[in-house]
Amino acid sequence: MATTGNKNINSKLVLLGDVGAGKSSLVLRFVKGQFIEFQESTIGAAFFSQTLAVNDATVKFEIWDTAGQERYHSLAPMYYRGAAAAIIVYDISNQASFERAKKWVQELQSQGNPNMVMALAGNKADLVDTRKVAAEANATGFVLQLTCLQEEAQQYAQENGLFFMETSAKTAANVNEIFHEIAKRLPRVQPQNPSGMVLMDRPAERVASASCCS
Amino acid sequence: MDDYEPGPVPSPRPLDRFGFVKPELNISPDGLIKGRSACEYEREERRVRKWRKMIGAGGSDWKHYVRRKPHVVRRRIRKGIPDCLRGLVWQLISGSRDLLLMNPGVYEQLVIYETSASELDIIRDISRTFPSHVFFQQRHGPGQRSLYNVLKAYSVFDRDVGYVQGMGFLAGLLLLYMSEEDAFWLLVALLKGAVHAPMEGLYLAFSFVPLPIFVTEVGDGYFRWRWQKWVGLPLVQQYLFQFDHLVREHLPKLGEHFTQEMINPSMYASQWFITVFSYSFPFHLALRIWDVFLYEGVKIVFKVGLALLKYCADDLVKLPFEKLIHALRNFPKDAMDPDTLLPMAYSIKVSKRLEEMKQEYENKNGKTAESAECNEKQKQA
Repeated sequence: MATTGNKNINSKLVLLGDVGAGKSSLVLRFVKGQFIEFQESTIGAAFFSQTLAVNDATVKFEIWDTAGQERYHSLAPMYYRGAAAAIIVYDISNQASFERAKKWVQELQSQGNPNMVMALAGNKADLVDTRKVAAEANATGFVLQLTCLQEEAQQYAQENGLFFMETSAKTAANVNEIFHEIAKRLPRVQPQNPSGMVLMDRPAERVASASCCS
Repeated sequence: MDDYEPGPVPSPRPLDRFGFVKPELNISPDGLIKGRSACEYEREERRVRKWRKMIGAGGSDWKHYVRRKPHVVRRRIRKGIPDCLRGLVWQLISGSRDLLLMNPGVYEQLVIYETSASELDIIRDISRTFPSHVFFQQRHGPGQRSLYNVLKAYSVFDRDVGYVQGMGFLAGLLLLYMSEEDAFWLLVALLKGAVHAPMEGLYLAFSFVPLPIFVTEVGDGYFRWRWQKWVGLPLVQQYLFQFDHLVREHLPKLGEHFTQEMINPSMYASQWFITVFSYSFPFHLALRIWDVFLYEGVKIVFKVGLALLKYCADDLVKLPFEKLIHALRNFPKDAMDPDTLLPMAYSIKVSKRLEEMKQEYENKNGKTAESAECNEKQKQA
């Protein structure tokens, strides 16, 4: 690429989270503006890319969408190693998926890139309203539980240096916003020689070093 | 699942010959729906008659035929099993028919009386398995019910493996050709190794393998084994290691390009192995691969993978990372034609190198991976 300076940023982003939290749906909404009710399970991992303009720069996200099941854990490090950003996704109607999200955060804190920008996404926010209605109807503790999860997530994010948003891939709420926020928070100066990163750290502009054929 | 009323039957939409909803913009998604000529039809009829003779009524002559003419069987399978006999032949060549006959009533027991820790996980994935196939589209319909039953039964049958994402595509593919119970036993035959090496390692969380070189005598005829813990889908890791080496040996230029672009097989081939090409691959090609896979074993997966790369190598070596990843997930239609791809795959020899690299992988991991010493007492024979 001809552009010099910090105007064009290539950034590797990884999505992590429990089975069925909506990782693939978030990416699909962000990249293609689509939503599919019955999204095929992700086996292994899938790759997408999308470019965003943020203030002074253009950020191109190279996105790895991973499989959610615990059993696939051993394949994940390859995708988060060297990533500049991560979105950890949970399903707001599923407490267990929030617990799993916390585990991912811990793992990224100990194993991932120390400067990684991390976002916590409470997905399926569209379910809040339906749940509220159901809860009012039968007076269960559902609303209380959901509210708690939201506060808990907010607090957890604060304590751990993440930023938190409730998103809905179905209604598109906060989907672009979360990627936009990540783009804004990315360090503007990319390290010249990112050390200790493996596999996916492609030299950003190898083209430049190639012989100058026209 | 049984408590739920089936959902509405999805409104009729154009389907391909296998029952998948046709993508709206694609006029001819698999090249097979164009009308068949009378000549082709006749050839197909002759082929089915030959196969029927080979199998005998209900499979009665099959074993005898295979013993007498294994090469004829292999050649015919490589040309593709007639679709109307596929379900039966798959059960015969995988050894699942024998398992079924030896274990009457077991499946029913597993489905009806046992409970599984994976039930919720399975339910969560049911409507996400072949969502574009008419059989699996109806919420709590017969397709989704039988898929649930097979997966639940397996997760009870082998609690170490339980349920793993990816198994649904195997079970789903089988269910399009046979009953629930037959599909279950075929899954057992594959994962437990009725005919070929067991493949349960594709789905295991970890496995322990004894390392005989570390056996030390602790006196009194007892030995201490050193066990090695292999973490996370151990067989997937091994297959990817082997595949990586095969690519470098068979397609050195492309292998070099992959290194430069930081592409490794885990990024594009893990689902080939985990689902034996039944995930996001043209269905007519997946079926032809399965014909050979069940008879000859997993090496066909390596061969097909290599053939795909070989066919597209000239284009792939020119692509930068992002386009490369995309190309590796979306091979062109002509590359996916079974009658082009499979002969190419058959011509690639991998057996010997696969065995050697398996050894290499085990040795390598014996040194680096986490190992656990157990005071496993083994009485000297």
